[in-house]
Amino acid sequence: MTMKRTYCIAGSLFLLLAIWIAYESLQMRYYTPLGPGPGFFSFWLAVLFGGMAVVMIVQAAAGPPEPMPADFFAPRIGYLRIGAVVLALVVTIHALDPLGFSLTMFGVCAFLLYALGWQNIFVGLLVSLACSFGAYHVFDHWLQVPLPRGIIGF
Amino acid sequence: MVESFQLLTGGFVTALQPVNLLFALIGCILGTLIGVLPGVGPAAGTAILIPLTVVLDPTGAIIMLSAIYYGTMYGGTITSVLLNMPGEAASVVTCIDGYQMAKQGRAGVALSVAAIGSFIGGTVATLGLVMLALPLTRFALKFGPPEFFALMVVGLSLVTGLAGKSLVRALLAAIMGLLIAQIGTDPIMGAPRFTFGRPELLDGFGIVPVVMGLFGIGEIFTNVEMKAVQVFETNMRSLVPTFKDVKDTAWPVVRGTFIGFFLGLIPGVGAVVPTFLAYSVEKKLSRTPERFGSGAIEGVASPETANNSYANAALIPLFTLGIPGSPTTAVLMGAFMMNGLIPGPMLFKENPQFVWAVIASLYIGNVMLLVLNLPFIRVWVAVLKVPYSIMMTVIFAFCIVGVYSLSSSVFDIGVMLAFGLVGYAFKKLDIPTAPLLLTMILGPLMERGLRQSLEMSRGDFSILFTRPISATLLILAVIVIVISTFRAVGAVRGADSQV
Repeated sequence: MTMKRTYCIAGSLFLLLAIWIAYESLQMRYYTPLGPGPGFFSFWLAVLFGGMAVVMIVQAAAGPPEPMPADFFAPRIGYLRIGAVVLALVVTIHALDPLGFSLTMFGVCAFLLYALGWQNIFVGLLVSLACSFGAYHVFDHWLQVPLPRGIIGF
Repeated sequence: MVESFQLLTGGFVTALQPVNLLFALIGCILGTLIGVLPGVGPAAGTAILIPLTVVLDPTGAIIMLSAIYYGTMYGGTITSVLLNMPGEAASVVTCIDGYQMAKQGRAGVALSVAAIGSFIGGTVATLGLVMLALPLTRFALKFGPPEFFALMVVGLSLVTGLAGKSLVRALLAAIMGLLIAQIGTDPIMGAPRFTFGRPELLDGFGIVPVVMGLFGIGEIFTNVEMKAVQVFETNMRSLVPTFKDVKDTAWPVVRGTFIGFFLGLIPGVGAVVPTFLAYSVEKKLSRTPERFGSGAIEGVASPETANNSYANAALIPLFTLGIPGSPTTAVLMGAFMMNGLIPGPMLFKENPQFVWAVIASLYIGNVMLLVLNLPFIRVWVAVLKVPYSIMMTVIFAFCIVGVYSLSSSVFDIGVMLAFGLVGYAFKKLDIPTAPLLLTMILGPLMERGLRQSLEMSRGDFSILFTRPISATLLILAVIVIVISTFRAVGAVRGADSQV
């Protein structure tokens, strides 16, 4: 197994991104009487980015094949754990303002502990409480860093 | 020189105030803890702990964050020696001989030598900062927009030093950082760029969500996909080095100090290079190179000294020129800006009391770490026995609090998630993340420098090449890029011929 196909795909995606950025840059003012406009830098950076993406594709396609690292693909459980962290972040984004910091973090931390390998229900609850209500108390009350209160008011 | 030491004395008066000593102490302990935890590097660790400093005055905040920064450098050594598990990338080389010493029951000696070497390296580098600060600042005050633009180009060209196996991939990351820096309001004309109508993007992406995403959440993804590492406990007999140990490590410490110091002055080198260079220099100079890899004390002393010498010296370009040389100093630069302070020559002119207090605190922090480090070793090892699911959950919670508390916006949590996925993908594709972060910070400064220069010359680009300092710096940047390109091409040809 080599990285050839992976780098070709990644390079192609970078190239598409570069084309889109160059197009969007040209929709802005490219040059003004006093010098470069808002689109000048991003256009030339997109050109450079696209050029590098092409070099990456050519290197991957024509150069010596780079072996794929043994840990490139994670086991199924590894991807499930990554999915759990992503899900926890997405839930946090949507629930933090309406539910408040303490409730959201309590639920999210309990879920994460379960997904990453629950040790003990009491330890799990204790850690979830510390990361939610405890952290809220420390930051909101002691450090005066405001965190969202949500429906329960703290 | 006399003036520098007078100002430093004033700095000590501020830094030795009980409250600032407390901040330095807390920073040292938290930094060491971050350094001990595998998977949380110094950049993410410093970024995660920024919210703790929000309520502090700027001097206290930066003293604490600086202490966290060099504390991480000490902390990484402990796990390298005791567990063969580097807490941060700069400690990788310490594993080679440090762990072998631990297996021979000499872990205490290895850690003592590392702590003493780190103290010497850090202290000498801070002395260098004191001596170079005012001359460099005075020189930099002569800079106008063209010189400033050229200086930024030099900083960006040195990013090629952060390239791992592939220069092309490092350049892709660097250009991506510059493109990300384009998001937000145009600095001269005020027009929105790539904001997609979202008001949160008018100021561009914040440094902290990006750092926490790339280095914090990205590391969590990498850690959770693999099996948890089993902690192995070693036997520690004595912490006191013998006379022979001291004799064997004296010159390696001196050499490590100089290697770390000079590489710390060059932005973009990264903390890993000085440690590996120090190790290979010791191996080359040794009469018995075969001992390296099986517990040679020089293999611990020199890299560890270079590591901390580098960490302190890397603050010189940040403080005097406003150029962050590593991801962690970039985070520190972000923390400066959040406190209304712009690193660079004007910092010494406008806030001398603040900047000299921070420099004085570097000395105090180095002493604190030397005193604190060894008695606490067993505590740090105990921290590593915490199940990794709990550790990851706590880090996750800190990331959320850290990002949210700075802007009170869930949008930044989304940014952190997005950059976490970018960091994970970059790791899989072996694309270095450090160039992206550095160029993202330097990009707006560079663009502003160029556009102000062209306003001065009414759109004439020759202004960049007709002013002596600007022209010299641009030639230097070209030389760096040409050398890096030749080396990269040479490496590819070498690989071709091996196939």
